[in-house]
Amino acid sequence: MSNPEQALTLRKPAGVRTFARELPVNLAVLAALGALVLLFARDSFTLNILAGSFLFAGLATAWNIIGGLGGQFSLGHSVFFAAGAYTAANLYLKLHVSPWLALVPAAGVAALLAVAVSWPVFRLRGPFFAIATMAFTEVLLALAMYFDAFTGGARGLSIPFRAGLENMIFKDRLSYALLMLGFFALTLLAFTAIARSRLGYRLQAIRDNEDTAMAAGIDVLATKLTGMALSAGLTGVGGALFLMYVRVVDPPALFSLFDIGVKIALVTLIGGIGTIYGPLLGALLVIPLENTLRAELGGWIPGGNLIVLGLILILSALFVKRGLVGALWSLAARLRGIAR
Amino acid sequence: MTGFLQIEAASKQFGGLKAVDDVTLAISAGELVSIIGPNGAGKTTLFNLLTGQLAPTSGKVVFEGRNISHLAPHKRARLGFGRTFQISQTLTSMSVLENAMVGAFLHHRSLAAAAAEATRALDMVGLASRASDRAASLTLGERRRLELARALAMQPRLVLLDEVMAGLNQSEVQEIIALVQRLNAGGLTFLVIEHNLKVVRAFSRRVIVLNRGAVLAQGSADAVLGNPAVIEAYVGKRRA
Repeated sequence: MSNPEQALTLRKPAGVRTFARELPVNLAVLAALGALVLLFARDSFTLNILAGSFLFAGLATAWNIIGGLGGQFSLGHSVFFAAGAYTAANLYLKLHVSPWLALVPAAGVAALLAVAVSWPVFRLRGPFFAIATMAFTEVLLALAMYFDAFTGGARGLSIPFRAGLENMIFKDRLSYALLMLGFFALTLLAFTAIARSRLGYRLQAIRDNEDTAMAAGIDVLATKLTGMALSAGLTGVGGALFLMYVRVVDPPALFSLFDIGVKIALVTLIGGIGTIYGPLLGALLVIPLENTLRAELGGWIPGGNLIVLGLILILSALFVKRGLVGALWSLAARLRGIAR
Repeated sequence: MTGFLQIEAASKQFGGLKAVDDVTLAISAGELVSIIGPNGAGKTTLFNLLTGQLAPTSGKVVFEGRNISHLAPHKRARLGFGRTFQISQTLTSMSVLENAMVGAFLHHRSLAAAAAEATRALDMVGLASRASDRAASLTLGERRRLELARALAMQPRLVLLDEVMAGLNQSEVQEIIALVQRLNAGGLTFLVIEHNLKVVRAFSRRVIVLNRGAVLAQGSADAVLGNPAVIEAYVGKRRA
């Protein structure tokens, strides 16, 4: 058969947004965030909040690959986050590998683990898949507590403070904010490239209808596994960076269903699932708010911050079903209607 | 000569129900074959055996000499099987163009090439002007045409249409008939489940009638539709 690519005249059809077309906006958003960091360069409190926001924006963007594009609602991404953190910790503490280099095996281990645990559960659809991911979080938490040679068990692991670029340990908060911004930049570019590729279209086809996807020649399992591996690999990088940021980790914190697994999904949902900038908007809303609430309400009503976050989720589920991004689009459409 | 598509003594059993019962059929390359039969005759089950959504309980499905009875649907798609579904399966979060692109990605890697292929397929079914609309905004008739476009964008060798005319208006039905006949004249093989007997007459050199999972009759449209056994299967026995 002749090459079908040649038989076609490659005129540019309307309505297809390529990666090249999205890239300028990607870069403009990243530049704006960089400016925001520099604006607060002397304010450690704000820099901490920004670092946390960018970390979760990056984790949520990574989750969005399989959760948003692929429609596989994982609540178990804390497992891949922890896998990345423990890989980097062991390489650094035992073999003195620079955390910068350890980011690659951190991503690799998280991706391999993702393929191994997802293989059986990808047979499940919808809520059953989500429940299964919660279950494997608990199983891996138990295993992490048991294998204390790698995880330090319940005592956890701590990274000694030795400041230096090669150790990814900094005296100033500014460097950490920029580090996390770099992580978000990585996930943003990766997500955009994937969303505007054949893989992205195939993941979305699977999300919309698995039978149609199969009939269109899509290997559903292989496509889901690829999306999950990429998503988990980036999440593993986030875990390694988080380790170097806090320098003390233990299994209950890393595998936390609420503080990691569910929060990643929540941030994406509030911002706009499946959209390029939804995770960023969600993180910029939820993380600063959570920090403020913890400071204001934490001592007054224990757990008060969780009540407020729960309320936000319920309100956004009721009134902004397509997230902040969806709400902004409808607002823009309405304003255009008024202007006309 | 090895045949194009053969079904050899295939049966599919669901518990106590034999939905397809010992069916043997051969479809030649370039044919346009209609399958008719009353509700519950096993038409869609037979289709699913062909496309791989189901595997036969016994017997086999052979494509160009290769036993594909247990080959997964996406692998059959790669062999050249395109299909539409009885209940239209539009990818509602996507645009019309993107729906067709999902099919076009079977043979194209780049977005631009897939979009060009998809645009060509949309053009064939008369939806090119709707390319950038949300697929969810289409009428039922347009959705059925979009599904056909997605199948055509896969550059198939065989297209299976499961009641693609249902819910279409007269002029749409005429357009699809003309399109299928044109593509068939170009060498594309069609296997069509159809309830609309006007369509069956317009199409078919060959009609297969299924009843209770088995082949009741086959032949030209006129011969088959005049067959007393076929009439009885559809409207029941005349009381003596």
